[in-house]
Amino acid sequence: MSPLLSVVSSLALWVGSALLVASVAIIRPRRLYGLWNDLRDRLWEIRKPLAALVVVLIASAIGRSSLQTVSELFGLQLTWAIYALEGNFVAWLQSTFGSPQLTMYFSSVYVYGYVFLLAFPFLAYLALPRTTTVKRLLVAYALNYAIGLVLYTVVFAYGPRNVMPDMVTSLLFTHNPEFMALTGEVNEPTNVFPSLHTSLSVTVGTFAVLTRREYPLWTPLAAWLAASVVIATMYLGIHWLTDVIGGTALALGAVSLSYRLVDEE
Amino acid sequence: MARHVSRRETLAGVGIAALSAGCLDRTRNIAGRDRSSQLTLEINAPPADRDPNAIRIARHLAENLNAVGIDARINTLGLTDLRRKVLINHNFDVYVGQFREAEPFDPDAMYAFTHSQFVAESGWQNPFGFTDINGTDELLASQRRTGGDERREAVEDLQRTLCELQPFTVVAFPDPLTAVREDRFENWTNRQPLSVGGLLGVERVDAGDGDADGTGTESGDGTAAGDNETTAGDNETTAGDDETTAGDNETTANGLIGDNPFTDSGDEEGDSATLRLVTTDERITQNWNPIAAEYRRYGTFTSLLYDRLALVEDGEIIPWLAAGWERVGDSGIEVSLRDVDWHDGKPVTAEDVAFTYEFLQDTSMGTTESPVPTPTFRGRVSAVDEATAVDEITVRLTLDGVNDAVGVRALQVPILPKHIWEERTDVATIAGFEVDAETTEAVVTNNEDPIGSGPVRFVEASPEESVAFERNPDHFLVRADDGDDSTGDAMDPLAGIPERFRGKPAFDRLEIEVMGSDIAAVQAVGDGFADATVSNLGPDAVPRIGREADARLVTGRSGGFYHVGYNTRRAPLSNPRFRGVLASLIDKRSLVDIAFDGYAEAAASPLAAAPEWVPSDLQWGDGETDPVHPFVGEPGSLDAETARDRLREAGYRFDEEGRLIAPGA
Repeated sequence: MSPLLSVVSSLALWVGSALLVASVAIIRPRRLYGLWNDLRDRLWEIRKPLAALVVVLIASAIGRSSLQTVSELFGLQLTWAIYALEGNFVAWLQSTFGSPQLTMYFSSVYVYGYVFLLAFPFLAYLALPRTTTVKRLLVAYALNYAIGLVLYTVVFAYGPRNVMPDMVTSLLFTHNPEFMALTGEVNEPTNVFPSLHTSLSVTVGTFAVLTRREYPLWTPLAAWLAASVVIATMYLGIHWLTDVIGGTALALGAVSLSYRLVDEE
Repeated sequence: MARHVSRRETLAGVGIAALSAGCLDRTRNIAGRDRSSQLTLEINAPPADRDPNAIRIARHLAENLNAVGIDARINTLGLTDLRRKVLINHNFDVYVGQFREAEPFDPDAMYAFTHSQFVAESGWQNPFGFTDINGTDELLASQRRTGGDERREAVEDLQRTLCELQPFTVVAFPDPLTAVREDRFENWTNRQPLSVGGLLGVERVDAGDGDADGTGTESGDGTAAGDNETTAGDNETTAGDDETTAGDNETTANGLIGDNPFTDSGDEEGDSATLRLVTTDERITQNWNPIAAEYRRYGTFTSLLYDRLALVEDGEIIPWLAAGWERVGDSGIEVSLRDVDWHDGKPVTAEDVAFTYEFLQDTSMGTTESPVPTPTFRGRVSAVDEATAVDEITVRLTLDGVNDAVGVRALQVPILPKHIWEERTDVATIAGFEVDAETTEAVVTNNEDPIGSGPVRFVEASPEESVAFERNPDHFLVRADDGDDSTGDAMDPLAGIPERFRGKPAFDRLEIEVMGSDIAAVQAVGDGFADATVSNLGPDAVPRIGREADARLVTGRSGGFYHVGYNTRRAPLSNPRFRGVLASLIDKRSLVDIAFDGYAEAAASPLAAAPEWVPSDLQWGDGETDPVHPFVGEPGSLDAETARDRLREAGYRFDEEGRLIAPGA
């Protein structure tokens, strides 16, 4: 239990500080002040999408292990098909660009950067005078998770590090085995298609582009972080290119659906 | 991947041409033939997180198969699913796995593994569907019944036959590598650190004698050591004194401390008496059925739960649940039992033992149309014709004319409590529906709250995360050791038990935690969260042990050889020549270096762990290559053209792109 606790506390510390700095720099104190005064009303306004997200997350936490069993028994075993489709792309990526510095960068982006990337927009959009965007963001998150869970159940596949350890090093866990304690809590190793890291990052990135008028500083930062997380999933040997493409498609679908479901006020 | 125009499209196209030409007969002759396509083989292996070595063997084979024009696909599956697919459903082409014997074994282990009488059964008996009635079957039968040179000859011929026919290809015998830390428990054997004997032989490091064990204790967790000292009180000081003079006294000293009721129940002692193991194999947290083929690797922990009549350690036969046995007549053995209780307090009787042997032959106890035999230990129980209880503590086993060595193997099956397992003879059902009449409840049960008679008892588990066992204070090793010195005049209740096991286990609690990968497992030992790793360590994890200050590498000899198994029910794997070529595509030498980091022995014979049985023409020796099916090419590089020539010689054909055409597909 101890390794998990230390990873979680370090995660909370780093992401917490990053959120603080980014809030001041990007959301600006004036809006933060407004958010603080109006927090209760705004949370009440977004109660429905927030509840939807919480329900999806709880269902995922509870149902994951039984859905995993269903996937083992009846899922499509597609590891070989994914490999046949893309071959050694991930191995090529690692062998061409691999370096200790990049490994450190992508490892921290994959864990710390990702959590920051998902948490910050919630704050930022909640601070906007109108709640449409934050509602859409929550709906898009929920859709990502819900559809992702269905696909995980249908597709049973292992990632490159598990299939070709001779060519793809499991960089994240080789250099930071303590992270495994954390990711093991939230992920099954067979849940690779689609990459949820990719889909949620791309979701945030897309929202950042769509809201560039409100937060012009956030757009390039989000795009950079999202791109880094997407590359990290492959560079670290966790996901196939196929998972990333699938994750991107899921993200774009989820964002457009969220725009349809939540109308402009 | 080779995908051809579907037959329907072809027929639609040629149909028009044929009608207009009018020569329907000729068209039928051509279109009626199945179209040829490339041969596809699916190689099943566990993912790297679960078994870092097997997937590397699978990858190597797949690469070489693809190079000679066979479409090889790797299918990664969890350990349980893989076993279910291969051992139970026989629904596979090729698999990579380990043999189920942890230690070097008697040749008779091949009986269930390869005898054709077991082709229709599911479990560890002949998963290949291999039938060689005049060769293998006869040799297997003859090595069971003969002794001395006659048996040796049969065993040697058996190995030659198996090597030639290759129902499976032996790749290598891995060294059972374990990362251990010795600041809390010591005396990890260098033979089989995580066998029953290995775990029972482990000693607790006593608090306050850091000088005896080097720096480990001092630099380790001083707080835990301090706790230990306060509770153990007076006993501890004497023990410490003894130890400085002679290491041998350690056993008794520890035994006494362990038996001290105050120590046993002492809460503040915390985890200082807990042996903490880490594994990547989650199965022991889900299922404790000693006969379940899908869930047992070597069966080490279920052997700690369920005693066997005999325990064999390093070739030494130790009467275990049996106090002793003697041959009666030509084919009988009379076994007398020790005075032991089940974990629920009921006594272990001769009736339980007789029941176990009958039950393992047919877990339905005669209630189904045809018997449903146990999926493991099948070869062992097949040597016993009949088991009857003579009195409360004596059981007579009638052997099937087998020699002593096979008889001893028959004594090594988990003895099950009749009062629990006789309830499990019904056909297995899901929500009241019979799904498969070939399976009984006993075979499929997870056996929650297992009741055995062994030196540890089940405490609690959280599936896929961890499981906890505790020392069984009523076990004969502990109970009989209490009065050891005072009642020396009567029959020694621990007769035949080596000194190192008396009063054991040295731990009060045994915890096994599941880790994400072999690297995480080694890290946990290095960081002091665990005392030893259980599951296999891959080439990325082994060098790590050296870098961790407090972790040490312990290794020994294993019987669990890695092999590539073929489903000989399926063409072209049914052809021994084809299998022979596949065997020659496996570069065992390089695999040992790459997939095992050198911690394995390449081998041709499945008996190579017991070299005294291997004839000189099958020994690997210093040779670089396999004596029967040498690797085609130089070490590390396959000669694909020569391999294709071999396949052509064996009657297989290739299309213009060099793809092997599936025969009759």
